[in-house]
Amino acid sequence: MKTSKTMLQKVGAAALTALMIGGCSQSNPASSSSASPISVLSREDGSGTRSAFSELFQLEKDGQDLTVPDAEITNSTAVMMATVTQNPNAIGYISLGSLNDTIKALAIDGVKPSVETVTDGTYSISRPFLIVEKEGAENELAADFKEYILSDQGQKIIADAGYVPIANSGSWSSDGVSGSLTVGGSSSVTPVMEKLAEDYQKQNDQAEISVLQTDSSTGASSTAEGVYDIGMLSRELKEEEKSQSLISTPIAQDGIVLIVSVDNPVDSLSKSQVQDIYTGAVTDWSELN
Amino acid sequence: MVSSRKETWLQILFAGCAALCILSVALICWFLFANGLPAIVKIGPLNFLGSAHWAPSQGHYGILAMIVGSICLGLGSALFGVPLGVLTAVYLAYYCPKKLYEPLKSAIDLLAGIPSVVFGFFGLVVLVGWMQKVFVGSSGKGILCASLLLAIMILPTIVSVSENALQKIDPSFYEASRALGAGHDHTVFFVCLPAAARGIGTAAILGISRAIGETMAVIMVAGNAAILPASILSPVRTLTTGIVLEMSYASGLHRQALIAMGAILFVLILIMNIGFFKARHRNG
Repeated sequence: MKTSKTMLQKVGAAALTALMIGGCSQSNPASSSSASPISVLSREDGSGTRSAFSELFQLEKDGQDLTVPDAEITNSTAVMMATVTQNPNAIGYISLGSLNDTIKALAIDGVKPSVETVTDGTYSISRPFLIVEKEGAENELAADFKEYILSDQGQKIIADAGYVPIANSGSWSSDGVSGSLTVGGSSSVTPVMEKLAEDYQKQNDQAEISVLQTDSSTGASSTAEGVYDIGMLSRELKEEEKSQSLISTPIAQDGIVLIVSVDNPVDSLSKSQVQDIYTGAVTDWSELN
Repeated sequence: MVSSRKETWLQILFAGCAALCILSVALICWFLFANGLPAIVKIGPLNFLGSAHWAPSQGHYGILAMIVGSICLGLGSALFGVPLGVLTAVYLAYYCPKKLYEPLKSAIDLLAGIPSVVFGFFGLVVLVGWMQKVFVGSSGKGILCASLLLAIMILPTIVSVSENALQKIDPSFYEASRALGAGHDHTVFFVCLPAAARGIGTAAILGISRAIGETMAVIMVAGNAAILPASILSPVRTLTTGIVLEMSYASGLHRQALIAMGAILFVLILIMNIGFFKARHRNG
């Protein structure tokens, strides 16, 4: 038994030493910064939200992405929100329609993001939601559905979902056009499109609309190929997409909102401060004042 | 006559099943390399493997940071997972009271059944919060957090394979050691554990392979920045999370590059397994 005891003691001592050495070297980066370093969150390269964000804050110059390279990346709005909720030093961005009470939306240049401020243009960080159709595609149902989306009823559903309505072509009533329709594209537009399709089918039971979630680029290319009757995009058409004879119609405007934890004392940032944070010119919250 | 004909038919059926297995492996290989290799050639092997600059929309396709990320998380998870798993296996095999064995064993097996997305969410909500409290000022996400989470995820593999190895040792080893006057602890750690070294090696390799291949959990806690990590708190992107993050948007060369990343991942795992089999054959 004596041997075993000393053996265990040795193992224990080794483990403790390892922990202490590990502990010391690990706590260094934290203790050296008494202030609060900003934890920057962004979306993945290629995401529609990221490209709109980069464009609005001029984070791309001469084909170079200026976003700070050690920014945390996520491909999900839910993970972005959960991270910001927990970490008082984090900053991220999401679509206005996804905003809720668990996080704080920052005012930009003193303007709080809301449906009203995006509508009147005072909150300038916004992007369009588009639907695209192939030129010359005669589809009665698609035309009727589009008319519905742009009518008072359709735009009300868009507003209720937290997005900003942009059109108002009066009221719409079903003329019972029958047939089926395939709508596909951006994951940002899909949730509100599903609500629109559901409400439309309630009023026109002759129609069958299926909404497929892919992404903006697929929305454009599949519509050009005739796979989708209507494509959904959460950004403007790119030059090479415009040449594929697609007609785009904006159906809503979506604000992009900078979010921080409710424990973060900052309420407002200027556009150039956001730019500094995302390019890494400013790395600590204390440097902002 | 009838029974022998039946046997032939069954033999063909079984051979068909085996062939199907091999065929699917071959198909995956073909898919990965037929789609991935042209991309590697187009980007240039040195630019692809030797650069850490990943910005597909600007035409930079360097995956070094992601290779390093995968290796870091593989080793990191082994660092925490292997000692914990092996000691758990030792406890189960040599110290555990009979009454405790069943509940303990089923609890560990249950761990293996938890979907990885659940692990990821647990990591995001609990582990990341702890990390932020321990390392004040850090975001909490990064190599350390992901390694700890992966260590928990690979425990069941390591525990069950190591325990199997320990159980299979000839009991005469233990008896001989005790007869020579060594205590229980001494025998377990200096006789039985070395005798099971090969099995424990297998356990470690299987664990690391699983850690390198894991995606859903890692994506939530690793921070996913495509940079060479500077410290154990740095965010990392692995090959698997790199593919998942961008697959839905990628097109053209970008998409091919992601498939090529899959091919590299495949090669990485293959090298590990071959190295392991070589080592195994040399030892016995």
